[in-house]
Order: sequence, then C-alpha cells, then structure tokens
Amino acid sequence: MKKRVQNIRRDTTKWSIFLLAIVLFIAVPIFTVFVNLFSGPGETWNHLVAHLLPNYLFNSFWLIIGTSILTLFFGVSSAWIVSRYHIPFRKPLEWLLILPLAIPSYITAYAYAGIFDYGGIIEKIIFTKIDIMNIYGLIFVLSFSLYPYVYLSSRAFFLNQSRNIIEASKLLGAPDQKTFFKLILPLARPAFIAGVVLVLMEVLNDYGAAKYYGINTFTTGIFRAWFSLEEPETAIFLSAILVTIIFILITVEKWQRKRIGYLNSVENHQKVQRENISGKTKILFFTLAFTPVLFGFLLPLMQLLYWAFLTFEDVFTLEFINISLQSLGIALVSSFSAVLMALLLLFLSKWNRVAFIKQIAKISILGYAIPGAVIAIGILIPTLSLDKWLMSVFKNVFNVKIGFLINGTIMALVYAYIVRFLAVAYSSIEASSLKFGKSLSEASTLLGSGNISTFRKIEFPLLKPAIFGAFILVFVDIMKELPLTLILKPYSVNTLAVKAYEYASDELIMEAALPSLCIILVGVLPVIFLNKLITKTQ
Amino acid sequence: MSTTLLKVKEVSKTFNGQKVVALDKVSLSLEKGKILAVLGESGSGKTTLIRLIAGLDTLDNGEIILNQKVVSSNVVFVKPQQRNIGMVFQDYALFPHFTVFHNIAYGIAKSSEKTERIKEVLDLVGLSDKEKNYPQELSGGQQQRVALARALAPNPELLILDEPFSSLDVILRSQLRKDLLKILKKTNTTAIFVTHDIKDAIEISDDILVLKNGNVVQQGTTTSICKNPKGAYMELLFDSIR
Repeated sequence: MKKRVQNIRRDTTKWSIFLLAIVLFIAVPIFTVFVNLFSGPGETWNHLVAHLLPNYLFNSFWLIIGTSILTLFFGVSSAWIVSRYHIPFRKPLEWLLILPLAIPSYITAYAYAGIFDYGGIIEKIIFTKIDIMNIYGLIFVLSFSLYPYVYLSSRAFFLNQSRNIIEASKLLGAPDQKTFFKLILPLARPAFIAGVVLVLMEVLNDYGAAKYYGINTFTTGIFRAWFSLEEPETAIFLSAILVTIIFILITVEKWQRKRIGYLNSVENHQKVQRENISGKTKILFFTLAFTPVLFGFLLPLMQLLYWAFLTFEDVFTLEFINISLQSLGIALVSSFSAVLMALLLLFLSKWNRVAFIKQIAKISILGYAIPGAVIAIGILIPTLSLDKWLMSVFKNVFNVKIGFLINGTIMALVYAYIVRFLAVAYSSIEASSLKFGKSLSEASTLLGSGNISTFRKIEFPLLKPAIFGAFILVFVDIMKELPLTLILKPYSVNTLAVKAYEYASDELIMEAALPSLCIILVGVLPVIFLNKLITKTQ
Repeated sequence: MSTTLLKVKEVSKTFNGQKVVALDKVSLSLEKGKILAVLGESGSGKTTLIRLIAGLDTLDNGEIILNQKVVSSNVVFVKPQQRNIGMVFQDYALFPHFTVFHNIAYGIAKSSEKTERIKEVLDLVGLSDKEKNYPQELSGGQQQRVALARALAPNPELLILDEPFSSLDVILRSQLRKDLLKILKKTNTTAIFVTHDIKDAIEISDDILVLKNGNVVQQGTTTSICKNPKGAYMELLFDSIR
C-alpha cells in the first residue's frame, strides 16, 4: 500500500492536475444532475407521476419501438442493396442515402407537416387530408430522418464482410434468401444494434419535432417542468430517468461494439463482390434503396425550397443576415473551443501517468450521450448559484450592483456546447491518433523532445486533417442544435435553428424554410466528407 | 572503477490493476560496450522490460540505475528525454512527414557539426544517397537502417533495439543482422537487443537474458548459455535451431 501511494506521488505531474481540472470543468453538469437527485423531487412530482409520467413513458416507448423497426428496415435493406448488387445510380445513392443526416429532424417534421397539411402536395394528389401530427407521424418523420445511422454501420459491416462465408453457404446448397436471413442478418446484428442505439439517443434527445407534433416525451417534459411548472427539482428527476435509459442503451451498444470487433477481426478474407441482377429485381431493389432518400431528403428539401421561394422576400432581411452571422460566429467559437478541449483531454491523458486519473478522464466524453436539455439544466443550476454568489460578493465587497455574469451569456452557451459535443471532436481525433500508434511520439521523446515539442513537431502536423474533420463535424452539430440552445441562449442572441423553431411555433411554418435551408446547406458538406472517409477506409 | 552502465534491480510491473504480472522481480546488469539480448516468446515481458528501462512506462517496484544514477524507482522517475537512451522501434517509428535527413536531424542538438554528424551516420548505415527521400519511399530494410541511424545520431549511452528484424524476410534479415553487429561494434555502442529468435540472440549478443512469463529463466554470457542451457524451456529453445 505504502509503495502504491509512493508510486502515485511519483507519477503525479502538472499534466495530471491539469487533466483533473479539465475533467471537473466538463463533468460539472453531469455531477449536478446526479447530486441534485438526492434533494428529492419538487411539489408537483406526485401529480406528474400520476398524470403525465405514464404518458411520457408510453410515448417514448412507442417512439423507441417504432423508429427502431423502421430505421432497421430502411437502413439495413438499403445498405445491403448498395453494397451487394449492381443497381442503377448505385454510386450517387451510396452518399445520397446519408444526406438525411444533414437535415435536423425538427426541420423534416416541419416540412412533412406542410406536405400533409390542407393545400399540401398530398391533399392535392389524393383530395383528402391525412393527419400526420400524431405519434405515428412522428415515428415516420424520425425514422426517415435518422435511418442513416443504421445505414452507415450496416454498410460498413457489409463492405468488410468476407466473401468466403457467402460462398460457403452457396456451396452447401442454400438459396439466396436463406443465406441472407440465416447467415448475413444474424452475423451483422451487432452493427445494426450499434446504429439503432445512436438513432434512439437522437430520438430521446429530440425536442423540436415532438413539441411541434404535440407528443409529450421526456425531453418535452423536462422543458415543461422547468419553464411551466418552475420546478428544477422535478426537471432533474425526469432528466435522471432519461439518463438512466440512455446509459442502458450505451451499455448495450458497447457490448455490441465488442462483438463487431470480434466479427471483423478476420483480416485475411476476400471482400464481397457486387452481383448483377435481372430487370425486375433491379427495379425493385432500386425502389427500395431510393425510398428513404426520397422521404428522408428529397421531399422535405423540395417542400422547403418551395416555401423559401414563396417567403424569401419577407424572411431575407437584415435581421436574418444578422442571425445567420450570429449563428456562424457562435458555432465557430464553440467548435474551436470543443476541438481545443478535445486535444487537451487527449494529450493530457497521454502525458498523465496516474492510471486512475486516466480512467476518471473518460467521464468527460459522456456528454454526447446526454440529451441537450439535461446538459442545459446541469449547467443552469451551478451557474445560477455562482452568479448569485458573485453578485453578493460584488455588492458586499465593492458595493457595486451587477447582473448575471455567466447565465444568459454566450459563455454559458459555449460551455454547454463543449460539454455536449466534446465526444464528437475527441473520438474523431483519437481514432486518427490511434492509427499512428504510440511509437512516433515515443521515438520523439527518446530523441530528446518534451511533450509539448513532440506535439508541435510530430503529432499536430500528422493529426491536422483529423482535427479539421472534427471541427467540421462539431460545427454542423452546433448549427443544428435546438433544445440546449433554446434554454441557454442569451435574449439578445439568436441562431438559425432557434429562428426556424420560433417561426414554426408561431405557425409561420413557410417562413421557417429559409433558416432551415441554411442549416441543411452547412450540413451537406460534412456528410459528403464523411462518406468519402468511409469509402476510403474500405 | 565500475564499467557497469545499466543495473536493473528486482523490477516488477503489473497491468490491469495488478491482475496481469508482466515482470516479477527481474534483475540484470550490462557492462559498457556490451550487447545484451533479451530473449523470450510473446508475452514474456521483454517489451515491458525495455520500456521501463527507456522510461516509457513506470515500474511498480524495484530500481533501475543508469550510469550510476537511479532513473526509476518508487520515488524517482527520470523522463525518457533525459536518459540519453536511443531506441529502434519494431515498426521503426520514422516520422512520415520528414525526409530521411530531417528524421536523423531530429535528435541532434543544434550545432555547427550537425550536418556533418548526419552525413556520418548515413555513411555508417550506407544510405548517403537517400537523405532527401521520405520514409515511405524506402524499402523495409532501408527504413530499418534509417531508424538505426536516427537512434545512433545523438550518441546515446545505451541503444535499445526492439525486435528490429521482425518484419523483414529471411534473406534481408540475415544480411542486416551482420551489418548491425558491424555497426554496433564499430561505434562501441552498448545495446539491448530484444528478440524472440534465438539465432539473432546468439549471432549478435555478448550476453543473453531469457524471460518467460515475466521471470528470468537464465542469464549469462552467450557462450556459457549455449554450452549449458538450463531447464526444459532452454532445451526447447535450443532444439529449435539444432
């Protein structure tokens, strides 16, 4: 024991301390939610449990079941078709199938509300209005918006799959259907589940689409508890239930990821070759692969373009330009900060020699799994206390009356974005750093360079593309983010996402199109970049 | 005056919260100018041992003394960049964005003789015409020579070679083995050579240390070990080349 203490003392350096400080800074919102659980729920908790919670649970449960089934169907079938068969327009389809990721689900929801509304394209075609503003409509919208997560993980699996397995099945006399259902599907299950878990995290994080369609979920409940009932304690309790569900999902995903590693560990195999198929099957498969692109991207995009055309003159004002610039500015500063924090976290973890601090550091990348609304509350509570303390200090010590210094400022918003999107930046930089291995940095150290010098001369130049990629991914995520921004943004500041939400909430849905299109435009570029990356990896 | 350059005293190292014992009270000593082969199969602890000596990992117990100065113990840890140890990595670890010249220049302090020193080591490894090439433009054997030149350039007190031939084919391996021995003797370099191949160990080293499951099976001069291998494991090792 004495020697272990001696070893910890020997290994503790300035890097370990610095790392701990960063982890604490990032983990504050998560700890806040956890610690506040012990102070008990608010007065309305019993009412909420009796009247609203069953509804939240029921809706969230059906959303999970419905989106899982639909995203699995469209994600897996399209991935299988484009990676296994020669169909018309296969190459553009491969990346078009990812594009729904560029449209935030709340924007797809607005577009479909218009498509199915009175005077919408559906009513014009079938002369009757179909009501989509219900849980089935929401399942439809979220599924077509989020299936690319399943498509991406399944496609990566199918492209890496061994040809030998399929050929062995054929030689044993199994027809194509049997090979697919008895062999391919069970083998690829870990990849599907990994994708579905990401879909479900997004479903549980969604606020804009559920709110617009009038469906009560945990996230809308958190908003209601905080803003309508004015009970932070109740909001925290709801957040805790939500976080528990998310952590169960993460555990499932991690377990599945280990299995994917196992299944992909066979290196010396020949990749599956695409097959030629006959006329009718070709048309059927093309239709099947094109359907999610049509419903997830093209239809909503066309609806938005049409609306933007109608409302351009009213919406494209100086105020709109101002909001766009504010949105860009906030996203730039926040993504830069998130990438910087990710680099600090990655390299301080590397330079720190104390094993348990390294383990603790992993907490800081949990933010991506926690819904934006929960993070916002986790930030509001401690920063409010800090602001109140600062106000009393200024009043008592300097006899100066000040307002809030953190709450309601850009600082709190940027901090929240860092917590939420740190994992996105961290994992893409870490993946690239793992590819280079430890030996380059170790060689540099043994040749006399310190940690900073090694970073400057060796690691940074080699990681530059990954750092840029991470920046782009975080930037797009921030441009799209809604619930967290709604809670934490300063009064005087607005973003394109919030503006689109405000228009839609005020029943000015056509006016929401232009800000939505700007967000989509920003989102399309990295999706193409992501597709190139995957294709290159194959 | 002692000519011992390196002393490792009862060094232990565990991983995964003490679940995996990588090294269990391993001791060795190495005289200046000698070449020690650390021989063992995968998972025997040989890489852990050299990483502890180089300062790339910290030990749980024991002491490492380099040039009569404690560099690792429960209370002392001298950073790798301050130990004056050179290392040739298994994957060579050449910086892909630097030319051969800049790879070698990396570890040499700024001085008027820097360029001269680079040319000298490039001559030594027979790659004078490759200074402007990038590592990825070289063959495996050439990359290995660049890695050796880079490690030798700052005049390290101790050179560690971590399975430098593992990714080379048989013919190249035999040629490079001879060249390496020539270079090490010419420069009078004290070296630790890690290998799982007993042929490499016998041909290159003055002393051999055999590890198995983190424990020392036998150590001594190469001649004495060849004459008198002790125990079933050593017999098995020698059987593979008889």
